[in-house]
This record gives sequence, C-alpha cells and structure tokens, in this order.
Amino acid sequence: MKRLLLPAILLIFLILEGTATDFLPKEWLLSDYFMIPHWVFVILVYIAIFYDFDSTYYCVFYGIIFGFLFDLLYTDILGVYMFTYGIAAYVIHGVKKLLHANMFVAILMSIVGVALADALIFFLYSSVQGFVMTWKTYALMSLIPTLLANLVFTLVLYPFLPPLLYKWSEEQLASQKAV
Amino acid sequence: MPSFFRNKRLILILVSIIFLVALIGFTIRDRENLTLPEQFLQDTIGWVQTAFHAPVQFVTGTFDNVSDIKNTYEQNKVLKQKLLEDRNLLEDIQLLRKENKELRSMLDKNESLGGYTPIQATVIARGPEERWYKQLTINRGEQHGVQKGMAVITGEGMIGKIQSTSQVTSTIQLLSGFGGSNLIHAKVVGDDNQYGLIEGGYDEEKKALLLKEIPYDAKIEKGQLVVSSGMGGVFPSGLEIGKVREVVIDEYGLTQLAYVEPAADFYEINHVSVVDRDMFSPELDEQPEDPNEEEEGQ
Repeated sequence: MKRLLLPAILLIFLILEGTATDFLPKEWLLSDYFMIPHWVFVILVYIAIFYDFDSTYYCVFYGIIFGFLFDLLYTDILGVYMFTYGIAAYVIHGVKKLLHANMFVAILMSIVGVALADALIFFLYSSVQGFVMTWKTYALMSLIPTLLANLVFTLVLYPFLPPLLYKWSEEQLASQKAV
Repeated sequence: MPSFFRNKRLILILVSIIFLVALIGFTIRDRENLTLPEQFLQDTIGWVQTAFHAPVQFVTGTFDNVSDIKNTYEQNKVLKQKLLEDRNLLEDIQLLRKENKELRSMLDKNESLGGYTPIQATVIARGPEERWYKQLTINRGEQHGVQKGMAVITGEGMIGKIQSTSQVTSTIQLLSGFGGSNLIHAKVVGDDNQYGLIEGGYDEEKKALLLKEIPYDAKIEKGQLVVSSGMGGVFPSGLEIGKVREVVIDEYGLTQLAYVEPAADFYEINHVSVVDRDMFSPELDEQPEDPNEEEEGQ
C-alpha cells in the first residue's frame, strides 16, 4: 500500500494544478504575465534526487504517466507534456548522478528542470499551433514568472518531501540497489 | 558494451519522438468525440476534482470576501441608485413580454430563436496551461444533455462554448481562448441591427474580442451591445457577448472591425449554464421525423 502513496501525492497535485489560478490575485491574472504551475514536475525533480537510485527510473516513469494525464485533462493535444516531462525528468536524473543530494542542488535542479520543461513545451506548442510569440517575449512574460512561481513551490515543499522520499526510497528500493 | 547501451538510448529517444508526433497528429485534428479511454479517465478524475475544488474554492473565496468588504460601502451607494432605475425598466419589460406572448399566440408561433433550456453546471477545474488553452472543466456531460458546440453563459454573459464532452464531465473553451476555427455569428443591437462574426480569437493586448465582417457602411457606435444572432445554427439568439469599444476599418479596407469588450468576467467563474436551444439545430439535433418540422429545420 505504501508504494501507492507517491502516485497518490502526484495525482493530488495534478488536480490541484487545476485550481492553481484561484490562489493568485485577479490583478495578476489580468496582467500579461503567465505563470504556469509545474507542481508535478517539481515533485518529479525531488523524486529524481531523493527517491531514485542511479539504476532506477521512477521519475521518468511517473513523468510519462502524469504528463499524459495533464495533457488529457487540461489541453487538447495529447503527448506534449508526456514527452516533455519524461525527457526533462530523464535529464535531471542524469545530471543528479554527478551531484550530492542537498538543498542547493534540489533548488538548482528544480529551476533548471522547470526552465527546460517549460521551454520545450513552448517550443512544441508554438511549432504545432503556430502561435506568434517571440522567444524574447516568452522569456520575459512567461518563463521568468513561471520559474519564480515554481521556485516558491519548491521551497514550500522542501521541509516535508525529501525526508519522506528518503525514507520510502530506503524501504521500497533497497532490494534493487543490491542488484 | 557501452556503445550498445548508447545506441539503445538513442533508439528509445527516437521511438518516443515518433510516438509523440503520432499522438499529436491523432489528437490535433478536429475530432467529433473523445475516445472511450479518454472519456473514462476524464470522468474518473473529474470526480476527484469535484472533491478538491470545493474546499480550495472556500479557502480562496474567504480571502476574496475580505477584500470585497472594503469596497462594500461605495458599491452599495451606486447599486441603490441603479436599483431605482431598474425598477422602472422591469415594469416595461413585463409589459413587453406579455404583449410579445399575446402576439405570438395570435400568430400561432410559439418557438423563437431566443428560447433555450439552461443546464446548470459547476466548474471543477481550470486548465493551468493559460498560454494555449483557456479552458474549464464542468461537472455536467453527455448524460445531462450537454453536446459539443453548445454555448456556455454566466449571469453576466457568454463565456465560451463546449469543446469536448465525456459522460459526466465536459470541457469549455473560453471566448478569450478562441482560435481561428471558431466563429460566432453575432449582431450589434441598434435601431437597425448589424451582423458580423466573432472571429480570429482574442486580442490579448486590448483585452477584447474581434467582431469582423461588418459591412463598411454600417454605423456602429461605441457602447452598443453585441449579442449572438442565432443564425449560426447552434446558439440561440440574444446571448450577451459584450459591448463595442472601438470600430476600425479592417486590414483590407472592405469591411469594418469592432473591438468588443466581453460582458462576462473570464476569471472568476464558478457556476455556469450550458445553453441548449429549443429551436431545431441542424448541427446538434437528430433529423426530426415529422415532415413539417423537417422543412422548418432545413
């Protein structure tokens, strides 16, 4: 049963993303800045750093599943978030092998990961939809606010999530580590 | 065998890119209906969303209420004034409505293009991907009579139309997120009505909808009301869309273009009505069996 807790947490945050705009003041929503919540992805970064061992790829696996659900629930085109979250989680998992797991690495990885994911999503959608927004406007209006908003979320989660993940990792994945 | 693993990784990435392209290609076309697994997942998660949305709404609503109280006094003053004016209007409307009914019964024509049955629904989620998809999920679906393409209104005016439906949930596309393929036939209400199309999406900078294809000699003034015309075949007539803010000659110089300020608030939406029009709709309804009605429909 304990194994289901992690997917359950991811699912809850996926659903809470659907209410994310309620948390922001209306004046912000009416402005030209876009803040896209990548809460699921931030949790995936934590999973990559504190849960996965070098040989396990749970972050990629969950990234594909919950990216797909995001596509299904909140957009019309399937596959964009699925692909992006999968690839970005894989990159984070690869980089993490070179670094120690501590607070600064977690924050740095979440910033890099969210920036990578958001830019990839922007690239994919703008090539599919033919949306006219230059990279410069995107960086100013969308990428920077998104990074800040998700950085706040990363910091909020930091006291709670890593200890839990570390514990679950020892309990659930110890056998795989031995192999 | 390090090179072998390298290749495997490369092949995996290539295969996933092909898979991505295939999925995008499958979903980007204009689909009539969602596939069954999609409907099943949407409905199941919609159920969980309903459970989460209410508490979140309560918490965030409380903060909004506190800031609302600050403005109450000013609002109260203005509203009292308005109430007096409206009372006279109400009597007029009642008289007109009664007269309209009598005249209709004389003509033996009871259906009108403006008649509709509202389906009440609650918003259970708002898409977080604001850049491309301005959409809402509501807790009513095919089981309750919601169909793709129906108009969605709040008390203030039209907010969008149904994008896709599942059995017990459906997705609304907001007017502010309209793409080029979505059109609404609308009229500008005046002494003689002028018709145009809400087309080509939403001007993010001006915060206004674009009403195009208005004849070049039509006289339209700032502040005139824009409502749906009902001629598009799906929406009933008379749903308020917004007010004209500015009229310009369009890019080709042949027709006029009006910037329409939306009547509804696209950000604070909790309860909506899906509009099922009473008049036969060629797109939504089955062909009627009664031959008389059929003539009317076509």
